Amino acid sequence: MKNILPSLLALTLASGLTVASAQEADDPVARTRDPLDPPPMRLRALQLAERDVPVATGTEFNPAISVIVDAVYASDETEAPPGFEFGHGHGHGHGHGHGVEEGFNLREVELTFSGTVDPYFDALVALGFHEDGVEVEEAYLTTRMLPAGLQVKAGKFLSDVGYINKQHPHDWLFVDAPWMREFFFGDEGLNEVGVQLTWVPPTETYFRFGVEILQGESEGVANYIGPGRHEAVTLLPGPGGAPERVRWRADHDLAERDGPRLFTAFAKVAPDIGPNHAVQFGLFGGHSRAFQQMDAHSSGRLETWDGDSTFFGLDAVYKYDGGGVMGHGNFTLQGEYIYRELDLRYRNRQFDSFSSLGTLDEGDQKWKQDGLYVQATYGFAPRWNAGLRADLLGLTNDGFEDGEAESFGTSKRYTGQVSYAPTEFSRLRAQLSYVDMAHDDHGHGHSEEWVFMLQYVISLGVHGAHAF
Amino acid sequence: MQMHTFPEISAMKLFSLARAFALVLGLAGTAAAADLSVVATIPNLGMLVREIGGDAVTVRVLAPPNRDAHYLEAVPSMMAALRRADLVVSIGADLEVGWLPAALTGANNRRVMPGQPGNFVAADQVKLLDDDKPADRALGDVHPHGNPHVDFDPERLAAIGRALARRMGELAPAQATEFAKRAETLAEALAEHGARWKERVNDAPGVLSYHSDHMYLLRFLGVKELGTIEPLPGIPPTAAHLRGLVRRLREEPPGVIWTSNYQPDRAARFMARELGWPSHQLPTQVPMDGGFDAYVAMVEAWLDTLDPP
Repeated sequence: MKNILPSLLALTLASGLTVASAQEADDPVARTRDPLDPPPMRLRALQLAERDVPVATGTEFNPAISVIVDAVYASDETEAPPGFEFGHGHGHGHGHGHGVEEGFNLREVELTFSGTVDPYFDALVALGFHEDGVEVEEAYLTTRMLPAGLQVKAGKFLSDVGYINKQHPHDWLFVDAPWMREFFFGDEGLNEVGVQLTWVPPTETYFRFGVEILQGESEGVANYIGPGRHEAVTLLPGPGGAPERVRWRADHDLAERDGPRLFTAFAKVAPDIGPNHAVQFGLFGGHSRAFQQMDAHSSGRLETWDGDSTFFGLDAVYKYDGGGVMGHGNFTLQGEYIYRELDLRYRNRQFDSFSSLGTLDEGDQKWKQDGLYVQATYGFAPRWNAGLRADLLGLTNDGFEDGEAESFGTSKRYTGQVSYAPTEFSRLRAQLSYVDMAHDDHGHGHSEEWVFMLQYVISLGVHGAHAF
Repeated sequence: MQMHTFPEISAMKLFSLARAFALVLGLAGTAAAADLSVVATIPNLGMLVREIGGDAVTVRVLAPPNRDAHYLEAVPSMMAALRRADLVVSIGADLEVGWLPAALTGANNRRVMPGQPGNFVAADQVKLLDDDKPADRALGDVHPHGNPHVDFDPERLAAIGRALARRMGELAPAQATEFAKRAETLAEALAEHGARWKERVNDAPGVLSYHSDHMYLLRFLGVKELGTIEPLPGIPPTAAHLRGLVRRLREEPPGVIWTSNYQPDRAARFMARELGWPSHQLPTQVPMDGGFDAYVAMVEAWLDTLDPP
């Protein structure tokens, strides 16, 4: 947090300055103003006479700036479900892979700039200020002027596969992401650098088709490590009997695969069912040319997985918006299913000299796994809503090594939440989950856990339009 | 032995097959469409387009008349309509800011993007009321551009109609003169009705409205505005604010309470009870397919509530 505030301040100041100079360019009053005076809150009043000159809509300032603060209190001791430990610590007890730690978390301060660049492009930049630094969460442009219902998005963005993937944490209807998003796409979601092409045909029923070419770095389906070295340091008796530090070092031999590595496609269809109802169904899939994982043990032993991955899934969402006061009576039902196959070469190696690894065992692994969630929320009073969610992970949860199958169990989580939103710019939420986690021992045995979370979200600045 | 011949697929059959497929996709609708396909955000703007465009346009209205256009969500059916539109007509001034930009982004239609001839913003055509308030959220959901409810003002609506006719004429030059003529006729009718309405409410009581959406009509008519039940735009009334209003309005000569049909009426009923004033809840938008007559009838329904008992 110490590092965040000065940089936040600097960014805000910098953006303020650009806004001021942009105004001066077309404001005759501004030119006579003392440059040290603060910029006026508004541009000139609109003229009385009919003008018929198109001006940009709804933007006093360009770019529009918003700051979102998302803070969470969590009481959560669960670890990654069996079969899904890749990238979540692999059963070493540091498995709180929810982007949330035990206790108080300033999960995110998100600073978003968005606007129209010129007649040809819109752009959005979202910076996330986390406790350990600043990260570009999204930075992309979208085309405005392509013909025939085409649109290109380029930069770093949340993929459009599925429904919840492209939502930021503060837009979720629950404090945390469904397991499906967390364990198949990672803590950050499927958030990649690349390009997307979408096409909307001129039909009465809404269709949206898209393909994405992405660099391929996301945890659950496209984890990439690339070439590098495995190192270990041990103490061995030296010449005089005194302990001496010895460095062991060898290439870990994960293959180099140039990007782009991840290719996705999606289709959405949304029949028109009247102005107060909306429904959308989606199909998606993807293939990554690389899926690599590595687990370096303190003993010097190294486990690596290297191969590729394929996934596909379904999503559906229904929303009822009856026009009640402050969300009263609104109802949302959404669910998603995803299935992935990992084709991997597994190697378990140990140093056999200071500079080389010897193979203990290796084999071809294949993983077939899936996950789904269904959730519903209802606005039971003005400003209030309550929701229920069921997460199932590993209905299919099979690992095959050299053709021999090992089946892990299905983990389940049931979550309830209550939210209170004083205005559309602030929200408080409490959430309780019951976790029924499968054990690592071949699908037998379960552990039970209760998880409690509190969250507040505040939003400063423009209230941008929400995508469906 | 009879030879089996491959069934001949006639051109007719192929055509009807293609047509059936097109119907399923909804393509046929666009082929038979009128010259100009227009999307209007609210029914009153739909009325304006319909009156000016006549048979030369098809109009699709996005916000139903019983919904507050400020609180809609961008849904795919809007995007499908915008995808096929030649022109989108909105109020602007942030009224549709919560959903129209997202719907336009999802529509992939360059013709109707902001800044293009196919994007017409009514509030950009006239001077708005309350356009000098500071844009401070502590003062509620204030629109820094001014009060967006311009469609409820006969004078401004006429001016918007003329500008809209010019824009539609740019998009369909063959009909430009016809559009201009119809806009002029509409403006004249609005002026005529307006003059009559002003006269009719000469000695009318003042009006306490729920939201600032009646401001334009009241200013036009010269009827006294007694304030709003909402303490700040978009903020539901609090008990303290209502008590203060009751204290202040007890000193005033009796007035009338106005609530639009999509606004909650509990506070209005409370005020009516406390003050002993009549309270009315009526539509501020014409029906989805309403024309000018519906608009006149709607305004006159509000005026009826100002008549002496």
